[in-house]
Amino acid sequence: MDANDKKYTNGEITVFWQPKKCIHATTCYRELIEVFNPRKRPWVNMNGASTEEIVRVVKLCPTQALSFKYNNDIRDEEQKEKTAEGAETGAEVRVMEDGPLVVKGNFVIYDTDGKELKHLKLTSLCRCGSSHDLPYCDGTHRKIGFTGK
Amino acid sequence: MEEDKSTSPAKAEVRILKDGPIMIKGVIRFRDSSGNVTTGEQELYICRCGGSANKPWCDETHKKIGIAY
Repeated sequence: MDANDKKYTNGEITVFWQPKKCIHATTCYRELIEVFNPRKRPWVNMNGASTEEIVRVVKLCPTQALSFKYNNDIRDEEQKEKTAEGAETGAEVRVMEDGPLVVKGNFVIYDTDGKELKHLKLTSLCRCGSSHDLPYCDGTHRKIGFTGK
Repeated sequence: MEEDKSTSPAKAEVRILKDGPIMIKGVIRFRDSSGNVTTGEQELYICRCGGSANKPWCDETHKKIGIAY
Protein backbone atom coordinates (compact mmCIF):
# COMPACT_ATOMS: atom_id res chain seq x y z
CA MET A 1 0.00 0.00 0.00
CA ASP A 2 1.34 3.39 -1.05
CA ALA A 3 1.29 6.33 1.38
CA ASN A 4 -0.97 8.26 -0.99
CA ASP A 5 -3.53 5.48 -1.27
CA LYS A 6 -6.93 6.29 0.17
CA LYS A 7 -10.00 4.37 1.16
CA TYR A 8 -13.61 5.38 1.51
CA THR A 9 -16.48 3.44 3.01
CA ASN A 10 -20.26 3.62 3.32
CA GLY A 11 -20.30 0.90 5.98
CA GLU A 12 -21.15 -1.81 3.46
CA ILE A 13 -18.26 -1.58 1.02
CA THR A 14 -14.87 0.14 1.02
CA VAL A 15 -13.58 1.77 -2.15
CA PHE A 16 -9.79 1.87 -2.50
CA TRP A 17 -8.10 4.59 -4.52
CA GLN A 18 -4.52 4.17 -5.72
CA PRO A 19 -3.51 7.48 -7.38
CA LYS A 20 -0.34 5.99 -8.87
CA LYS A 21 -2.39 3.68 -11.07
CA CYS A 22 -4.77 6.39 -12.33
CA ILE A 23 -4.37 7.51 -15.96
CA HIS A 24 -7.26 9.96 -15.71
CA ALA A 25 -9.47 8.07 -18.07
CA THR A 26 -12.36 10.06 -16.46
CA THR A 27 -14.67 7.05 -16.61
CA CYS A 28 -15.63 7.23 -12.95
CA TYR A 29 -16.81 10.81 -12.88
CA ARG A 30 -18.45 10.72 -16.29
CA GLU A 31 -20.47 7.77 -15.02
CA LEU A 32 -21.14 8.91 -11.47
CA ILE A 33 -20.25 12.52 -10.65
CA GLU A 34 -22.40 12.28 -7.48
CA VAL A 35 -19.79 9.94 -6.00
CA PHE A 36 -16.57 10.61 -7.94
CA ASN A 37 -16.08 14.36 -8.15
CA PRO A 38 -12.44 15.46 -8.63
CA ARG A 39 -13.36 19.08 -7.81
CA LYS A 40 -14.48 18.15 -4.31
CA ARG A 41 -12.53 17.11 -1.23
CA PRO A 42 -12.72 14.32 -0.39
CA TRP A 43 -13.22 13.58 -4.04
CA VAL A 44 -15.16 10.37 -3.30
CA ASN A 45 -18.57 10.77 -1.64
CA MET A 46 -19.76 7.32 -0.63
CA ASN A 47 -23.24 8.65 0.18
CA GLY A 48 -23.76 9.97 -3.35
CA ALA A 49 -25.24 6.76 -4.77
CA SER A 50 -26.29 3.23 -3.88
CA THR A 51 -23.73 0.52 -3.17
CA GLU A 52 -24.75 -1.30 -6.38
CA GLU A 53 -24.19 1.83 -8.46
CA ILE A 54 -20.77 2.51 -6.90
CA VAL A 55 -19.72 -1.10 -7.46
CA ARG A 56 -20.82 -0.90 -11.11
CA VAL A 57 -18.68 2.20 -11.76
CA VAL A 58 -15.64 1.02 -9.77
CA LYS A 59 -15.61 -2.08 -11.98
CA LEU A 60 -15.43 0.17 -15.06
CA CYS A 61 -12.12 1.71 -13.97
CA PRO A 62 -9.70 0.69 -16.73
CA THR A 63 -6.57 0.64 -14.56
CA GLN A 64 -8.02 -0.63 -11.28
CA ALA A 65 -6.84 2.56 -9.61
CA LEU A 66 -10.32 2.22 -8.11
CA SER A 67 -11.16 -1.09 -6.48
CA PHE A 68 -13.54 -2.21 -3.78
CA LYS A 69 -14.19 -4.85 -1.17
CA TYR A 70 -17.22 -5.71 0.90
CA ASN A 71 -16.59 -4.75 4.53
CA ASN A 72 -17.76 -8.20 5.63
CA ASP A 73 -15.00 -9.77 3.52
CA ILE A 74 -12.41 -7.34 4.96
CA ARG A 75 -13.42 -8.38 8.48
CA ASP A 76 -13.15 -12.07 7.56
CA GLU A 77 -9.68 -11.52 6.10
CA GLU A 78 -8.49 -9.69 9.22
CA GLN A 79 -9.87 -12.46 11.41
CA LYS A 80 -8.07 -15.11 9.36
CA GLU A 81 -4.79 -13.20 9.56
CA LYS A 82 -5.09 -12.90 13.33
CA THR A 83 -5.81 -16.60 13.74
CA ALA A 84 -2.86 -17.53 11.52
CA GLU A 85 -0.52 -15.26 13.49
CA GLY A 86 -1.58 -16.70 16.82
CA ALA A 87 -1.08 -20.24 15.59
CA GLU A 88 2.32 -19.67 14.05
CA THR A 89 4.07 -17.49 16.61
CA GLY A 90 5.29 -18.98 19.84
CA ALA A 91 7.12 -16.36 21.82
CA GLU A 92 7.31 -12.70 21.05
CA VAL A 93 10.70 -11.51 22.26
CA ARG A 94 11.69 -7.89 22.60
CA VAL A 95 15.05 -6.43 23.55
CA MET A 96 14.56 -3.17 25.43
CA GLU A 97 17.42 -0.71 24.89
CA ASP A 98 19.45 -0.35 28.14
CA GLY A 99 16.89 -2.64 29.76
CA PRO A 100 15.55 -6.17 30.04
CA LEU A 101 14.48 -8.85 27.62
CA VAL A 102 10.70 -9.00 27.44
CA VAL A 103 9.08 -12.29 26.48
CA LYS A 104 5.39 -12.84 25.90
CA GLY A 105 3.13 -15.24 24.05
CA ASN A 106 3.10 -18.99 23.88
CA PHE A 107 6.26 -20.24 25.62
CA VAL A 108 7.61 -22.21 28.55
CA ILE A 109 10.48 -20.93 30.66
CA TYR A 110 12.97 -23.05 32.61
CA ASP A 111 15.23 -21.89 35.40
CA THR A 112 18.95 -22.71 35.75
CA ASP A 113 18.03 -25.93 37.60
CA GLY A 114 15.77 -27.05 34.76
CA LYS A 115 12.54 -26.44 36.70
CA GLU A 116 9.72 -24.65 34.97
CA LEU A 117 9.31 -21.08 36.17
CA LYS A 118 5.95 -19.46 36.76
CA HIS A 119 4.55 -18.53 33.41
CA LEU A 120 3.53 -14.92 33.17
CA LYS A 121 1.80 -13.35 30.21
CA LEU A 122 4.70 -10.97 30.00
CA THR A 123 8.05 -11.79 31.55
CA SER A 124 10.96 -9.34 31.87
CA LEU A 125 14.35 -11.02 32.16
CA CYS A 126 17.47 -9.29 33.51
CA ARG A 127 20.15 -8.40 30.96
CA CYS A 128 22.40 -6.26 33.15
CA GLY A 129 23.41 -9.08 35.51
CA SER A 130 22.71 -7.04 38.66
CA SER A 131 19.04 -7.70 39.47
CA HIS A 132 18.29 -8.82 43.04
CA ASP A 133 15.51 -11.02 41.68
CA LEU A 134 17.37 -13.04 39.04
CA PRO A 135 16.51 -14.21 36.47
CA TYR A 136 13.86 -11.48 36.43
CA CYS A 137 14.42 -7.78 35.89
CA ASP A 138 13.90 -5.64 39.01
CA GLY A 139 14.85 -2.28 37.54
CA THR A 140 18.42 -2.32 38.87
CA HIS A 141 19.73 -1.62 35.32
CA ARG A 142 18.63 1.99 35.77
CA LYS A 143 20.58 2.42 39.01
CA ILE A 144 23.79 0.96 37.63
CA GLY A 145 23.49 2.78 34.32
CA PHE A 146 23.42 -0.37 32.18
CA THR A 147 23.74 0.31 28.48
CA GLY A 148 23.12 -2.29 25.85
CA LYS A 149 21.49 -2.72 22.49
CA MET B 1 0.71 -9.94 37.07
CA GLU B 2 -1.79 -12.46 35.83
CA GLU B 3 -0.69 -16.04 35.37
CA ASP B 4 -1.14 -17.38 31.86
CA LYS B 5 -3.60 -20.27 31.91
CA SER B 6 -3.43 -20.96 28.19
CA THR B 7 -3.45 -24.68 27.55
CA SER B 8 -2.21 -24.76 23.94
CA PRO B 9 1.19 -26.43 23.66
CA ALA B 10 4.07 -23.96 23.87
CA LYS B 11 5.77 -23.25 20.58
CA ALA B 12 8.84 -21.68 22.15
CA GLU B 13 11.15 -22.49 25.01
CA VAL B 14 13.13 -20.06 27.15
CA ARG B 15 15.97 -21.45 29.25
CA ILE B 16 18.01 -19.54 31.82
CA LEU B 17 21.36 -21.27 31.39
CA LYS B 18 23.35 -21.63 34.61
CA ASP B 19 26.00 -18.92 34.83
CA GLY B 20 25.32 -18.21 31.18
CA PRO B 21 22.98 -16.58 28.68
CA ILE B 22 19.24 -16.84 28.08
CA MET B 23 18.52 -19.41 25.41
CA ILE B 24 15.35 -18.97 23.36
CA LYS B 25 14.36 -21.68 20.96
CA GLY B 26 11.30 -22.27 18.80
CA VAL B 27 8.93 -20.21 16.73
CA ILE B 28 9.82 -16.68 17.69
CA ARG B 29 9.08 -13.16 16.69
CA PHE B 30 12.26 -11.36 17.76
CA ARG B 31 12.48 -7.58 17.91
CA ASP B 32 15.83 -5.94 18.67
CA SER B 33 16.20 -2.56 20.36
CA SER B 34 16.36 -0.80 16.97
CA GLY B 35 13.02 -2.26 15.96
CA ASN B 36 14.33 -4.85 13.49
CA VAL B 37 12.13 -7.92 13.49
CA THR B 38 12.94 -11.51 12.57
CA THR B 39 10.32 -14.23 12.67
CA GLY B 40 10.32 -17.98 12.39
CA GLU B 41 12.13 -20.94 13.83
CA GLN B 42 15.21 -19.64 15.69
CA GLU B 43 17.66 -20.41 18.46
CA LEU B 44 19.01 -17.33 20.20
CA TYR B 45 21.46 -16.73 23.02
CA ILE B 46 20.94 -13.44 24.82
CA CYS B 47 23.62 -11.97 27.10
CA ARG B 48 22.59 -12.05 30.76
CA CYS B 49 25.83 -10.93 32.43
CA GLY B 50 25.74 -7.41 31.01
CA GLY B 51 29.30 -7.71 29.75
CA SER B 52 29.01 -8.91 26.16
CA ALA B 53 30.70 -6.73 23.56
CA ASN B 54 28.14 -7.90 21.05
CA LYS B 55 24.85 -7.21 22.85
CA PRO B 56 22.16 -8.41 22.83
CA TRP B 57 24.01 -11.59 21.89
CA CYS B 58 26.12 -13.65 24.26
CA ASP B 59 29.84 -13.60 23.41
CA GLU B 60 30.97 -15.78 26.32
CA THR B 61 32.19 -12.80 28.35
CA HIS B 62 30.31 -14.30 31.32
CA LYS B 63 33.08 -16.86 31.60
CA LYS B 64 35.54 -14.03 32.34
CA ILE B 65 33.40 -11.83 34.59
CA GLY B 66 31.05 -14.42 36.11
CA ILE B 67 27.32 -14.28 36.80
CA ALA B 68 25.82 -14.81 40.25
CA TYR B 69 22.98 -16.97 38.98
